[in-house]
Amino acid sequence: MGGWLSRGTLTALALLVASSAMAHHSFAIFDHTQTYTLKGTVLSFQWTNPHGYLELDVEDGPGDVEHFTLELTSINMLRRAGWKSSDVKTGDQVTAIVAPLLNGDPGGLLLELKVPDGRTLTPPVPAIGTFKRTP
Amino acid sequence: MTHRLALVTTAALTFACALVQAQTQSPPDLSGSWERYRGTTGDPATPPPEAAPPLKAALLAEWQARRDAERAADARGEPIASGYVHCLPDGVPSMMSGPFPLEIVQGRTQINIAQEAYSQVRRIYLGKPQLTLDDIELGFYGRSAGVWDGGTLVVDTIGIKDYVRFRDVPHTPDRRITERLRLVTPDVLWDEITIEDPAVLEKPWTVTFAYKRMPDYEIIEYVCEDNREYADENGVTRLRLGAPE
Repeated sequence: MGGWLSRGTLTALALLVASSAMAHHSFAIFDHTQTYTLKGTVLSFQWTNPHGYLELDVEDGPGDVEHFTLELTSINMLRRAGWKSSDVKTGDQVTAIVAPLLNGDPGGLLLELKVPDGRTLTPPVPAIGTFKRTP
Repeated sequence: MTHRLALVTTAALTFACALVQAQTQSPPDLSGSWERYRGTTGDPATPPPEAAPPLKAALLAEWQARRDAERAADARGEPIASGYVHCLPDGVPSMMSGPFPLEIVQGRTQINIAQEAYSQVRRIYLGKPQLTLDDIELGFYGRSAGVWDGGTLVVDTIGIKDYVRFRDVPHTPDRRITERLRLVTPDVLWDEITIEDPAVLEKPWTVTFAYKRMPDYEIIEYVCEDNREYADENGVTRLRLGAPE
């Protein structure tokens, strides 16, 4: 038993951190206790894996624009939930409900998106109910 | 006498036909897309609850400590970077747990199972003997040899890299994974996975996953194209922001 353990440990130690949670994708970098509502202009809607991204410019007073990066789920999950890459276009005025990044960076997890045609789109975030909505 | 001979001949022919029929009985067709099915109360197709790994005492303590550390890191908002952050696939048998749909392409001599997430593919060779570890290189999917036992596909897998882990459980090169895939209803498939690794486990460890047919579903491609999550110098998951220039 010592043989495999000592041989394996060398490799495993180097990769333990990377592998120990192999089947575990965490949304723990996002705040589960509050949400922001952001009204802004879409700079881009990135339809990629492992996640989609929405880049949003939010006007924060006259001439003052703050940029937010919003993470979505995998686009495969979005597609199964009925989303299309054409649902959101550059220049669209949208309202996003977001669970912010805990480290204070201007970004977050998209929980809900109101698009110009009046639809409210919900990304299929696992355990979405664990994110507490706040005004 | 002639009559008796005819009766014996008929019986022998009937038996021979039955034997040939049993031997050549077509296996069920598992081809198509499948999604993980966790079952509902009262549905006999609900798989048994997942058992904790029967790890040996010393390893169990380490395993529990790792899981506790993972939970504590999540609670701090600093999740430990997982294989996904490095765009690594799950491998066998983790890919059978989901999270995305599976696609089975069934042939007479080979069955491929694709997991939509990370476009993972495993290949199960039928009618070929299993190789030895000396003949294969370790990988994420190992080497799988399958055989039909009536309506059950029995798959033997060896040769998974030591850091490609199922439920974070360590393993030795001697580990054997035996899967029994069978339809429990026409549209519910079970994969009963038994892991044997005497140096690590007190006894064989069996986990069963169930899947429901997705009749019209076509697997969507998955390329880990722009992974903005990364591991910082402490191995904590961070998000790279895409601020404009």
